[in-house]
Amino acid sequence: MGNTSIRVENLVKNFGEGDNLVEVINGASFSVDKGELVALIAPSGAGKTTLLMMIGCVEEPSSGTIYLGDEKVYENRWLTRKTRKIRREKIGFIFQAHYLIPFLSVLENVTLVPQANGISKKESQKDAMELLHYFDIADKADAKSSQLSGGQNQRVAIARALANKPEIILADEPTAALDLVRSIDVVKMLKKIALEQNVAVVMVTHDEAMYPLCDRILKIEDKKVVSSPPSS
Amino acid sequence: MINLAQKDIAHGLGKFIITSMGVGMLLGIVLIMIGVYRGMIVDAEALLRDLNVDFWIVQEDTLGPFAEASRVHEDLQEALRVVEGIDSAEALTFQNIQLSTSANPVRVVAVGFDPHGSLDAVNPRKIIAGRTLLRSHYEIVVTDKTGFVVGETLQLGRNTFRVVGVTKGTVSSGGEPLVYISLKDAQELQFSYTNNRIRSDRARGIINRDSHMVNTIVATVKPGYNVDEIARQIRESKHKSVYTRVQQEKILTKNVIEKASKQIGMFTAILVAVSTIIIALIIYTMTLEKMKEISIMKLIGLPNSMIIKMIVQETVLLGFLAFVFGNAFSLLIYDTFPKRVVLEFPDAWMLFLVVMVFSILSSFVGVKKVISADPAAAIGG
Repeated sequence: MGNTSIRVENLVKNFGEGDNLVEVINGASFSVDKGELVALIAPSGAGKTTLLMMIGCVEEPSSGTIYLGDEKVYENRWLTRKTRKIRREKIGFIFQAHYLIPFLSVLENVTLVPQANGISKKESQKDAMELLHYFDIADKADAKSSQLSGGQNQRVAIARALANKPEIILADEPTAALDLVRSIDVVKMLKKIALEQNVAVVMVTHDEAMYPLCDRILKIEDKKVVSSPPSS
Repeated sequence: MINLAQKDIAHGLGKFIITSMGVGMLLGIVLIMIGVYRGMIVDAEALLRDLNVDFWIVQEDTLGPFAEASRVHEDLQEALRVVEGIDSAEALTFQNIQLSTSANPVRVVAVGFDPHGSLDAVNPRKIIAGRTLLRSHYEIVVTDKTGFVVGETLQLGRNTFRVVGVTKGTVSSGGEPLVYISLKDAQELQFSYTNNRIRSDRARGIINRDSHMVNTIVATVKPGYNVDEIARQIRESKHKSVYTRVQQEKILTKNVIEKASKQIGMFTAILVAVSTIIIALIIYTMTLEKMKEISIMKLIGLPNSMIIKMIVQETVLLGFLAFVFGNAFSLLIYDTFPKRVVLEFPDAWMLFLVVMVFSILSSFVGVKKVISADPAAAIGG
């Protein structure tokens, strides 16, 4: 278990019931190691985001098992009522849109989760400024998201995802709204973060140009997850 | 810890203040309505307080002179003055008249009293210009709401009256402005008929003796005498209805203004209910507008307590600001109302309490929405 960050066994997700039952995932099993960047790919509607949300303790699976680090969090039911605490402490989310809180400044957006985790204002601001410097947007610390460009907002969103020092980053099409050059920059950045901070990164993407930058490809096929090297 | 409510309000400060002002105006109207109700009670008792007498002797089996018509003979006052324990007794008349001004006619209640008697119906503390009545004829003291000033003349019936004094805050039990004229002038106005009418009455064998009638006799009691006992004696010996000051106050508040005050009370209750519903709707809308952000907050793991705190703080602040604006609004406009509006601190504090309690209850609508918000909705799936 030591180096594994995410382990999913025989995961099933159905929507509806009876005649209206829709199977989205049926028996998915895979794992992602620390420091690894994997791309999660599938045609639209195949359940990529649903799978990501199940790993992120947002969407409850129908059955199966999920381990996050050494902790088994799901086995046919949530094993803890504090799924939100798990998200807050272990997981960083990045989305296609930045989804920053519009009435908070860049710095406040980045310090929000650490402060909710009990980190002092001073310490969380110091850490946040380091992240903002790392992403080259420290000069925008007091700006609101409406005053930033799309690329800058996405960098702030990544900084926010890292602010709680997560073990896992779940990125749902983080490059979909960016051009190729910026997309490559973002994925390289995620790869660098995965390596430097020993974080497992699962990235949903449709962009084949990003595949070679990843360590592995996880593909949803026949409602199951198949792992392959990036070149395949 | 970041105060989300403070940040959110600062982000849309103008909108928040305008919303608070809107609700505040509604609360201001609630305060004015309460003030109108209080004003009615003060008005009802104003004349009683000014006259400050112990008894009201009126026509037998009537609730006069305010709740029902009453006529008694003027000379009853002489008979009462010799009753043991009676200190003074004076005749009074009350009648509705209309004063013609250059602008609009003013409807007033005229109080007739004897300027040479022991009772001055004009409360000297309420005179703001001129003096009280000193002569038996053709002088009038008016209230400032009539618009007349000292020295002006006005026509009443067949006679011209000179304004000799102006009072402030003198109103009848119904809230209409008061004017004061001498008893003789009042009797002439109320009971004297035109020459044609007198001739017509004589032809019918009717002789008009009404000019020595009055509406009530008021009396004061010497110290050490039992008011209720004297009232009982007068009732039995003079065949009149006698009301003590307390009984007359009760007649005024129960019989004269009770329905009107209940109506105002109903309006006030409805307004409070409407204000509460509007506050709840505003909170609901404010929460709905933030559902995306709330879903994101839940998705990235913020605890419900942090989000609920934001909703409750915003609601309480909205209620508080609305209360402040409401008070300012009511203080600005209350004096422009034609009838008395009495704004009292206990009413304002009571409304503050009601607004805050209902604001907090209203915030539960938003809180319920927060608790049920789906974090997955933040990313549309």
